[in-house]
Amino acid sequence: MNEQHEHTPTLHILNKAPKHPRFAACLGTLGAEDVLVLSENAVLGLADQQSRLPDGCLALEADLAARGLNESFQKQAISYADLVKLTEQHSRIISW
Amino acid sequence: MSTLIVVDQAPYGSWTGREALDMTLSLAAFDQPAALLFTGAGVNWLRTGQAPEHVGQKSAEKNLSAAPIFGVEELLACSESCQRYGLDDANMIGGINQVASTAETMNRYHQVVFAG
Repeated sequence: MNEQHEHTPTLHILNKAPKHPRFAACLGTLGAEDVLVLSENAVLGLADQQSRLPDGCLALEADLAARGLNESFQKQAISYADLVKLTEQHSRIISW
Repeated sequence: MSTLIVVDQAPYGSWTGREALDMTLSLAAFDQPAALLFTGAGVNWLRTGQAPEHVGQKSAEKNLSAAPIFGVEELLACSESCQRYGLDDANMIGGINQVASTAETMNRYHQVVFAG
């Protein structure tokens, strides 16, 4: 069992569509220093007018491209290599 | 570093819980510390007397009982969810530790994976 790590900056990898309960659960857990990466159906959260995503939220470009969203959200797009770097930079990761 | 696998979905409607259990036992079998947390509808995995052969599936009860032998560190359940689904010591499989806060439990782990 690990000790308490309440303020460890955390990488959140979210792959659920905006309507999935875990989408809201993830957003509710985000800390100020945390990083959120959207993958698979979660990238639809960027297009969803009802989703309120944090500033600096990132999304996998392959999943954006697959859904015709990469031109609208170039600013948020990251590659798989970028994601690997993020996993190296964060000691705490939650895969939602 | 210990991995917490979170099961938040009910049994038998999908394969996600079964896959989570397989992942946990695999991690433990390879000496990777792992623990399981059941929360939300996922606590229904823990009820005694399940007979899923009626829907063509196998019970997870034996696998869960074997988890400590495989080296799974802890079997945890959200107490609020247990209450909601009418689970208590009398109708829950043995060896489960109830926790008051899912969020606090997740904070104790550096690797947290949701099933499915």
